[in-house]
Amino acid sequence: MNKKLLLLILSSILIFNLVGCAKKPSVDTIDVLDSSWEDILQEAKGTTVTYYGWGGSDTHNSWIDGYVADTLKERYDITLKRVGMNIDEILNNLLNEKQVESTEGNIDVVWINGENFFTAKENGLLFGPFTEELPNFNKYIDKDSPDVKYDFGYSVDGYEAPYGKAQFVMIYDSEKTDNVPKGHEELLEWAKNNPGKFTYPALPDFTGSAFIRNIISDIVGYEQFIDMEADEEVVRKAIEPAIEYLKELKPYLWKEGKTYPAEVPLLNNMYADGEVWMTMGYNPNEASNKILTGEFKDTTRTFIFDKGTIGNTNFLAIPFNSPNKAGAMAVIDFILSVEAQVSKYDPTGRGDLPVLDNDKLSDEEKAMFNAIELGIATLPQDELAEHRLPEMPAKLVPIIEKIWMETIPGEGE
Amino acid sequence: MKERLKPYILLIPIMAVIIGIFAFGILMGFLQSIGIFKAAGLTEITLKYYREVLGSKSFIDSLEFSLYIALVSSIISIVLGVLLAYSIYKSKIRTGMERIFNIPIVVPHMVSALLMYNILAQSGTFPRILHSFGLIKEQASFPSLLYGKNGVGIILSYMWKEIPFIAMTTYAILGNISNKLSDVARNLGANNRQVFRHILLPLIGPTVFSSFIIIFAFSFGAYEVPLLLGPTSPQTLPIKAFIEYSNPSLINRPYAMVINMILTFISIVLVWLYNKAFSLMTKYKW
Repeated sequence: MNKKLLLLILSSILIFNLVGCAKKPSVDTIDVLDSSWEDILQEAKGTTVTYYGWGGSDTHNSWIDGYVADTLKERYDITLKRVGMNIDEILNNLLNEKQVESTEGNIDVVWINGENFFTAKENGLLFGPFTEELPNFNKYIDKDSPDVKYDFGYSVDGYEAPYGKAQFVMIYDSEKTDNVPKGHEELLEWAKNNPGKFTYPALPDFTGSAFIRNIISDIVGYEQFIDMEADEEVVRKAIEPAIEYLKELKPYLWKEGKTYPAEVPLLNNMYADGEVWMTMGYNPNEASNKILTGEFKDTTRTFIFDKGTIGNTNFLAIPFNSPNKAGAMAVIDFILSVEAQVSKYDPTGRGDLPVLDNDKLSDEEKAMFNAIELGIATLPQDELAEHRLPEMPAKLVPIIEKIWMETIPGEGE
Repeated sequence: MKERLKPYILLIPIMAVIIGIFAFGILMGFLQSIGIFKAAGLTEITLKYYREVLGSKSFIDSLEFSLYIALVSSIISIVLGVLLAYSIYKSKIRTGMERIFNIPIVVPHMVSALLMYNILAQSGTFPRILHSFGLIKEQASFPSLLYGKNGVGIILSYMWKEIPFIAMTTYAILGNISNKLSDVARNLGANNRQVFRHILLPLIGPTVFSSFIIIFAFSFGAYEVPLLLGPTSPQTLPIKAFIEYSNPSLINRPYAMVINMILTFISIVLVWLYNKAFSLMTKYKW
């Protein structure tokens, strides 16, 4: 009998543990939107902040886990815990928490942009507006620039703070090919001359999707998409020439375009193995980073199209049910400091374009940015800036992905 | 009465967890699949999503592809696994052989997929070896086994995992069968093949069948192997469901749930078959 009783007790303890995990004491005791910055820092002192975001980039992960976490600990006594998770899973978690009206989540800072920000803000998954409360945001950010005000054409309204800028670049091996395509026609020529040596990741992979949007912009321009309604037929008609182009390109792709690498890391591996001669990335510095780590050959370089490549800003936001909003704000404010942005810009750190407004920097601060030596495969900032195209509105992205899936892969009609 | 209730009372704690989490998830999924999803502002019960999904060519392609992969890999694994178990059972070197089974069984599917990738990709080990022996002109002339519509890479990856599993379960049964029946059959003039066909096979049948159900259900519902080794189109159902689920527009969620419900329904049918197999087993007093 005793043994049975023990079993019963043990199993009930186990069950209550399952329930108990979800409960943790709230950290916030002040209203962060209505407090002075000193109070917020005081509140954040000694707390733990959880940072959720895409974990697919080693350079980004080590920058957060190393430089950012160490400096925060030292300066504000904040422990930063990074959890790598795909943004769609993060949003699904938040959505589920919203549905059961949970007021105590476990995410404090989330790395987000584009259609995911659109979904999160539309469904009330974010806390805000909070950016006006951050000293560094007020001091260094150009609030009126479209890069800060709009995220994929959708109004930000202070619900997320700019974090980094990215621009789409093509990556190639200068040893294997010397003339790089300057636009979609030349890319087709290149693919015809080097059959099987080019491909792109299957949509809805983020990078593959960006490549297709870039091709669309190159063929039919981006202007018409800015106010386009999110209707499948309208979009289908608008991108028709681009779809025709992709069908024409298909037979010259890797595996005759019948199949595509599922995600961009797979394409990078194929490039590193020499199976294809080009890859692509949404970070202009990535190729240089991968040369440093030995993943890519030293002869790797990057190029962009004459008509430009799409760029976007990525942001940091705070979920509606973050238990430690004060800590989250302290972390985001630190990331907007000159020092953190310089460290982020450094290719040995992470090599991500800064978001601060050049006109608001002092001469010393400008010098800090100018002192950074860019990687060997990275294009200069001004060349990228001159060829920067805006992203398409977020709500069109899933529609384009769906149309691609229906028309391009497979054995052909 | 009390005695009869006892097992159920003892089961309450664990069932509360299993049924609670599982049933709640299924119920929410079902509600969303018939168009009740408050978070996205959907409140009307409708079968529209089922109609659209079941009527779409890409769904039917995915369903066929998933069934094809699961069936082919499971059938080949069963045949080879049973033969492997039988040959080890007949051979004299029994000790140690069972341990070899354990290696693929404990390796995660993800790793087996990467092994296949490293060996069979056109830049992989196998083409390189052939190339260095001069058997193929260049690595690209190695036949492309991965990412194709025939799903060779996926099937091989599952076979590598499942043949040892089948062999292990079958071998355990074979080892427990008393030799009397076989001896009687041999006395009456049956040869080895007939003994296997008429004595051993019926005895191990239910176990083999239930193992088949297990691996079939697994490969039918697995995500990572087809993602890493499969073609872009058609996608297997789990990948399709996940892509629909991760669509940032919530209006799309019911479509993902319809696919999930169909996956669930097929799995429930498999469980029912599994139970049938189990009742056969008890008939044979195992």
